[in-house]
Amino acid sequence: MSSVFHRQESLSRSWIKAGTSGLVFLVGLIDYYTGFNVSVTLFYLVPVSLGAWFAGRRTGIGLAAASALVWLVADILSRQVAQHPFVPVWNSVTLGMGFVLVAYLFGALRDENLGLERMVEQRTRSLQAEIASQIRSQQQLAETNQELNLARQRLQRSLADLGTAHVDLQRTQSQLIEAAKMESVGRLAAGVAHEVKNPLMTLSLGADYFLGRPAGNPEEALLVRDMKEAVQRASSIINLLLDYSRPRPLEQAPEDLNHLIDNSLALVRHQLQKAKVKVVRELEAELPPVSVDRTRIEHVFVNLFQNACQAMPQGGTLTLRTSHAARPEKDGGGTPRVRVEIEDTGRGIAAQDLPHVFDPFFTTREPGQGTGLGLAIVRRIMETHGGSISLANRAEGGVRATLELNTMTQP
Amino acid sequence: MTMNNPKRILVVDDEPSVTRNLKLNLEARGEYCVRTESDPTHVLTVARTFRPDLILLDVIMPELEGGEVAARLADDPLLRDVPIVFLTAIVSNAETGGHEMIRGEQTFVAKPVDLGELERTIEDHLRARTVPAPLPMSLGGGPGQQDHYCARTSA
Repeated sequence: MSSVFHRQESLSRSWIKAGTSGLVFLVGLIDYYTGFNVSVTLFYLVPVSLGAWFAGRRTGIGLAAASALVWLVADILSRQVAQHPFVPVWNSVTLGMGFVLVAYLFGALRDENLGLERMVEQRTRSLQAEIASQIRSQQQLAETNQELNLARQRLQRSLADLGTAHVDLQRTQSQLIEAAKMESVGRLAAGVAHEVKNPLMTLSLGADYFLGRPAGNPEEALLVRDMKEAVQRASSIINLLLDYSRPRPLEQAPEDLNHLIDNSLALVRHQLQKAKVKVVRELEAELPPVSVDRTRIEHVFVNLFQNACQAMPQGGTLTLRTSHAARPEKDGGGTPRVRVEIEDTGRGIAAQDLPHVFDPFFTTREPGQGTGLGLAIVRRIMETHGGSISLANRAEGGVRATLELNTMTQP
Repeated sequence: MTMNNPKRILVVDDEPSVTRNLKLNLEARGEYCVRTESDPTHVLTVARTFRPDLILLDVIMPELEGGEVAARLADDPLLRDVPIVFLTAIVSNAETGGHEMIRGEQTFVAKPVDLGELERTIEDHLRARTVPAPLPMSLGGGPGQQDHYCARTSA
């Protein structure tokens, strides 16, 4: 590539040499024909300067010397024609030196120019190399960036997986805690039951004995009856503990939920009347049957009705509503359910207590007024039926309990 | 039933206060002759002598559990037909349904017992029991001894 370039360069240089030499000869001819008293001497500077500029200093100096010689010849000849014999050798030498000087200056200018051009070229090349390397680094950067992006996506996926695993672990942990709690409650309940029920039995039988005999006075009889009642109350608390820790197997049968609600209502009617609680029934007429343990579900309703009643000591309204519902998609999806809503107009549940109302032994009542097992048992019963229960404060005041149970209809 | 022919009940519980009170209450009706035993390892001997018509047996006792006592009674040719009603503190009234609970062949009554309910359970078992053939005197616990005990305790 470079040799071709050099050949081309030397070729054009030869042309320049030939052209400028021809031009010197042409100026010499003009000089001869115009005669020695007409000066065209300065014209010789044209081929000299052109040659020096385009073909280098040496060519320029050669052309300068040639010009001086041609001028001398043309001058001698034109003087002979004009019969003015004079050989201006020294003029020729002076002119030649002048031409050489011009050739030298042009040649120097040209060299300077070439050096500058070369420098620019070098600078350009290095700049181009720099740009190329920058482009390469940018490409590498882009590649690294892409890899980083991929790594980030992988990390995000791992993070999501970790999150899911964490939630699963938390659920398992809470189930384990719940199971451990149940086991210890069970052990505690059995131990307490054995230790407390035997003395209770002694007390109960003692009271029975005195109840079977004629009392000395009416107060005595009342006293003994109170003792008997106290024993029964203590015993029922232990029974609650036992039932909570060791639930019986369900005895399920198809039931009409509205019917169970009415039955449970009848069990607490006296209590509701005493507390001046008005009952509003909004029961859906055509409700599909549910497969439930009737005693257990009635226990749930009675417990919730009693809670509502206790929340409205100054009286109020107890609204009972049944309706159709559907099991959420994520939970098996689409199984028809029935919903029961129980609303009171009482004082509601404090926000900080809401997450704990279903915890065993959690109670907001005065010590001795409740075991804190009522709602825990209610939730257990709903869960063993595959149903659900939630409590929420109503915007209008009071509490709404929402219960859902699967129906026996296929989806 | 009359005092002349009282039904013989053996009450077994490791707590003497329980056995004492059961005896007092059941005998107060005048229909039962009650013998009490607080040591479960003595039940077999006492039962062979006393020849009860029914045994009220506590389940959780130190040294010997009620279930083990019942198994020994079932192995005894003299006593295997005597109905047993278990008294237990570790079932709730809900589990027994507020009255006696029958698990397999066994009948359980939850402590603290309701006296009326206990009497009904006892009567049901006594009625259902087939009258056993009279036992030879040589096996011990003859009628004379029984009558002596009941006469002494119910006096």
